[in-house]
Amino acid sequence: MTEDTTHLPIIEARGLSKRYGRGTLALDDVTFTIGSGRIVGLMGANGAGKTTALKAILGLTPFEGHLQVLGQNPSRERDALMRDVCFIADVAVLPKWMRVSQALDFVSGIHPRFSRTRAEEVLASTDIQLHQRVSQLSKGMITQLHLALIMAIDAKLLVLDEPTLGLDLLYRRGFYERLLNDYFDHQRTILVTTHQVEEVEHLLDHIILLRKGRVVLDCAVSDIEARYVQVLASPERADAARAMQPLHEREVFGRKLFIFETKDAGSYAGLGEVRTPSISDLFVALLGEHS
Amino acid sequence: MTAFLTLMRRELWEHRSLVWAPLVTALLLVLATFFGSRVGGLDFELGDQEAGFFSDLAATPVAQVQLFAVWMGSLLIPQLIVGLLVVFFYLLDTLYGERRDRSILFWKSLPISDASTVLSKFAVAALLMPVWVWGISLVSGVLIFLIVKFMVAGTALAPLGVWHGSAWLLVQATLLQNLLIAALWYAPIAAWLLVISVFAKRSPFFWAVLPPLLVAILEEVAFGSERILVFIGHRLSGYFQALQPGLMRSRDDETTLQTVAEAYQALSAAPLLASPSLWLGVLSAALLLALAIRLRRWRDDA
Repeated sequence: MTEDTTHLPIIEARGLSKRYGRGTLALDDVTFTIGSGRIVGLMGANGAGKTTALKAILGLTPFEGHLQVLGQNPSRERDALMRDVCFIADVAVLPKWMRVSQALDFVSGIHPRFSRTRAEEVLASTDIQLHQRVSQLSKGMITQLHLALIMAIDAKLLVLDEPTLGLDLLYRRGFYERLLNDYFDHQRTILVTTHQVEEVEHLLDHIILLRKGRVVLDCAVSDIEARYVQVLASPERADAARAMQPLHEREVFGRKLFIFETKDAGSYAGLGEVRTPSISDLFVALLGEHS
Repeated sequence: MTAFLTLMRRELWEHRSLVWAPLVTALLLVLATFFGSRVGGLDFELGDQEAGFFSDLAATPVAQVQLFAVWMGSLLIPQLIVGLLVVFFYLLDTLYGERRDRSILFWKSLPISDASTVLSKFAVAALLMPVWVWGISLVSGVLIFLIVKFMVAGTALAPLGVWHGSAWLLVQATLLQNLLIAALWYAPIAAWLLVISVFAKRSPFFWAVLPPLLVAILEEVAFGSERILVFIGHRLSGYFQALQPGLMRSRDDETTLQTVAEAYQALSAAPLLASPSLWLGVLSAALLLALAIRLRRWRDDA
């Protein structure tokens, strides 16, 4: 008899903090829960604490507070945890000396849930040759290789840290398309950090925004409509809008754009054109320099 | 087990010099024997004095076998020196390099414990390499013997071309045993190099060598004593000191060494296994390895 784990949270963080030396808090009392079968964006500007949060989740760095990943403590049970968790750090981490065939040999020798056939299938659709060394591949091809390895592992959680950093547009597109079409199946959970929001906003189910180590937004994408509203107001309405305490204000083609945390959706209609903000809009509103 | 062997294989993929350096040395040795004697036109016609000395050396059957054993055994030395050099730099670089090129994040993205990683590297240095160096020397030794046999035929050195099968087996067994005992004796140094490799932010070579030297010099200056220097010296040369009584006996005291087996007993490092110094070293190696594992677990600067 197996326990039904589908409703357990994949990641549960409560009061998670991390301080480097005596310096600033990289994570300051962070609390969030990530459910199963989601694609979650952990976003923020550079230095907001995204990578530190990932390192804590992957058991790569000590932390304070409560953190459980797949029901385990990543500090103490890292070795067991990594059977169910995959991780792409960024483009530069596959060792340069390794041949593609060696990468396949290695992961199949190490990982109990790796399917070599599957990895070879994925690689067959690329220009990568088995005898090539990583040092002979372009950045984009290295990412393709890493993705092929990851896609052949039957994991519960995939963590991507700026996976497409430094890649050109075609590879970036291909990366996420492949991930969505051939990998993600709603049994798995994907956690992606990036500061290139436009690139991932159409595929996320859930967003967590970090600013200076604190969570400033933790929201299902489907809830944005109910929680936030964006109003494009004519300049003469601007003062009325400001009186309603907008989160953000910016000028667009001579008109003022405001973003509000919704209290009463009806009350904004008089100000101008009302829309639901996109994730990029919220990103700018909550993390921009004026907020 | 498959996982551990995969980890060891990976070390050889990355550090190809571990495989090639001793192999190329052995090949050069074989080629040098061949061409050196051929092209160089080495003259095996000895002068009267040398011939007399040599015939004294190979006077009795036992002495002949001993001579055979000594020159067959000594064929291991070049590969051993080269092997030690590559292993030294391998141990210093292996856990440092993975942080430098950030590949540590790839290794750590897979279900491999830090203990298996560190121990696989140690096993490559302390188990695989001695056996590899021994195996290469065994094969190249036979090749060199055949070349020499051909060269010395009909000269005063002809006794060098006589094969002594059981002595050969005994030589190889003693060499392998001595190499593995040497690995135990030098295990704390290997483990120390791994600790430095995982610890150093840059220049692991200097971190490995300078602090022990500085501490030794400080001791000298502050207390006028040399305990640390003696301690380090003992660890570096103690293995050979332990072999020395046997070596001396086999050279000087021929009367007591009536049989080849006796001679080999004298050359064996096995008595070292009874020395507390060896086992204290093994214990220190275990502690240092535990430290390296712990340091790698929380190393956070990739």
